[in-house]
Amino acid sequence: MRSAEKTDVVIVGSGAAGSVYAALLAEAGKSVVVLERGPARKLKDLYSSQIWARRLKWGAPHVLDEGRDSIWHNFNAGHGYGGAAVHHFGIWPRYHPEDLRERTLYGKGRDWPLDYEQLRPYYDQVQEEVGLSGDAEQEIWRPPGAPYPLPPLPVFQQGRLLARGFAALDLPTAPIPAAILSRPYKGRPACLYDAWCDAGCPTGALANPLVEYLPRALKAGAALRPDSHATRVLLDADGERAAGVEYFDGKGERREQPADLVILAAFPVENARLLLNSAAGKHATGLGNASGLVGRCLMTHPAVNIFGLFKEETRCWEGVTGGQLFSQHAFAKDQSKEAFGSRQWVLGLGLKPNDLLGVAMSRADLFGAELHRFMKRGSRHLGAMIGSCENLPEETNRVELASQRDRFGMPLARAVFDAGDNSRALWRQAAAEGLKIFKAAGATETWHSPPVGQHVLGGTLMGKDPSTSVVNEYAQLHDAPNVVIGGPGVFPTSSAVNPTFTVHALAMRSARRLASHWPQFVR
Amino acid sequence: MTLSRRNFVKQGLALTFTVAGQPLLLTPREAHAAKVPFSILSAQEAGTLRAICEGLAPGAGEGGVAHFVDQQLGVDPDNSLLFIKYFNVAPPYVDFYRAALSAIRRLSEETFGASVAALKAGDAKALIESLRDNKAADWDGPPAPLVYHVLRNDAVDVVYGDREGFASLDIPYVAHIEPPPAWRQ
Repeated sequence: MRSAEKTDVVIVGSGAAGSVYAALLAEAGKSVVVLERGPARKLKDLYSSQIWARRLKWGAPHVLDEGRDSIWHNFNAGHGYGGAAVHHFGIWPRYHPEDLRERTLYGKGRDWPLDYEQLRPYYDQVQEEVGLSGDAEQEIWRPPGAPYPLPPLPVFQQGRLLARGFAALDLPTAPIPAAILSRPYKGRPACLYDAWCDAGCPTGALANPLVEYLPRALKAGAALRPDSHATRVLLDADGERAAGVEYFDGKGERREQPADLVILAAFPVENARLLLNSAAGKHATGLGNASGLVGRCLMTHPAVNIFGLFKEETRCWEGVTGGQLFSQHAFAKDQSKEAFGSRQWVLGLGLKPNDLLGVAMSRADLFGAELHRFMKRGSRHLGAMIGSCENLPEETNRVELASQRDRFGMPLARAVFDAGDNSRALWRQAAAEGLKIFKAAGATETWHSPPVGQHVLGGTLMGKDPSTSVVNEYAQLHDAPNVVIGGPGVFPTSSAVNPTFTVHALAMRSARRLASHWPQFVR
Repeated sequence: MTLSRRNFVKQGLALTFTVAGQPLLLTPREAHAAKVPFSILSAQEAGTLRAICEGLAPGAGEGGVAHFVDQQLGVDPDNSLLFIKYFNVAPPYVDFYRAALSAIRRLSEETFGASVAALKAGDAKALIESLRDNKAADWDGPPAPLVYHVLRNDAVDVVYGDREGFASLDIPYVAHIEPPPAWRQ
């Protein structure tokens, strides 16, 4: 075993949250080490191929998938520098004020320990730094905030066709708010609209961590260590505070990285696994687990893909992967008697022939000559949109340690998940409405996918009360404040909104606080 | 053997195969045409895979689906290019493929009295439908619909997932960055 020189901060994970923490704390003068489980990766390694793009997705250690529904862990999680954010689609709506106060306003879900006005300045600053494209005026549902620094992305043929359906039903749409450049911005080029976002954007037009925050972190002196497999948080002699991170390097050698501050910014399932595997000293059931809630309230966005064939060519292979337009017309959480929660549509997905979101999977029942006929037609005439639904935080949905172990002897994670009757009711509403919209748009054939899990959230919820939450408003463990959790695992509610913008805003708010209150973390 | 980037672009998905102890850069189609020996799968398993995938997506057999899967089964799960990783199947993936292909072979022989490769078109279609619809008699492999989806996507990758496949559908590939000429593990 080798122990490295003590650093101010050690961060596990180099994705959306980890990269922001690394950049801001390094720029604040802190010594920062980032441990990334996967390989080093640069923009030039992001090849335009849905087959090769699978290197960006999680493969091991295996996450056992149990319960009624899957969280689709491997498709949602990432592998290598930039984590899941390298293959994310760059769709960046804001959470709404009511998302953060659900318990107070509706008696459902949970309250966040901060309100929207406390988060708003960080949304504004992040969007200015990375360059968001959109049209704030057209987003009639948009929470208060600064206008987008860039005009909206263009709408292509597929987007125009699908918007026709919304208009026919008098439902509003707006250009999608995207962390994708519609114009050159701060030395980065505008998007080419070739819909390879899922394979990782190599041009720098989509604001993944390789573009903005990891380069800033490196410039400020942070050290990135690839092939570094974190296995537990080490505690001090009192068994109370974190003293560093144990990890195994690419050669399988056990190492320790001592640090004053530990930030776990891996994927939500992995963060919970690390905390549970760090049980020791005064944290007998898992680090930060005095509440018993580490790993609890795992969430996803139950989603439905709506598909339709049009007489017109949709040119669905162009645009951006995540969609051209969006609608939050069904965002009001109490609009329905049958189900509580928000819904969101994104219209006009960029489609390639293969992979999970590709043309072939839209009709997974077809094979042989029938499949080929469909592929010929669908590749040019298919339209697609995704409806995302809110998922309530249920303690029975959880991450726990399994008896099986990985190659380093660390217990595997087991994800136990049931989307719940409420989300299933929302999902049925979305599926029915989506088909109606496509018919109104003129689709000659319409159908929808089975439920899929989009994004993974929860497991390390934030809250004011240490007995009912894991971290505080700055994402510090209540029980060990020199441990911080990054990513959507801290979200107390899921909303129906893509989480990456909020991950950035929360990380920025927390990092600023950590830097300005640093003496609290040093002993 | 070396390939220029331009040549690779024309050829599509090129992988490193080992032939007579030497690494050789080939597309799955070329590996199939050259009858490169399989590294992981047995000849019988590869034959079953090739035949069932040909039924799932015509062209997959000549496209080298068996060589594609065989080469990728030698890759660690994190770096695997196989669709199966999305289904949260526990690695090593070869266990899944072996069990699936063995069960398909038995199903074909017991139901239709012939190997998958020797099935008439109608029988091959019936066999695939029985997997898809989870109605395969005395099925003893992994969940049959999961087998259907995994193998179907392997076939789709080989037939439609590269430049040649896009061209067959009359849609542009429009790459930002072409994959490099070698995928070296």
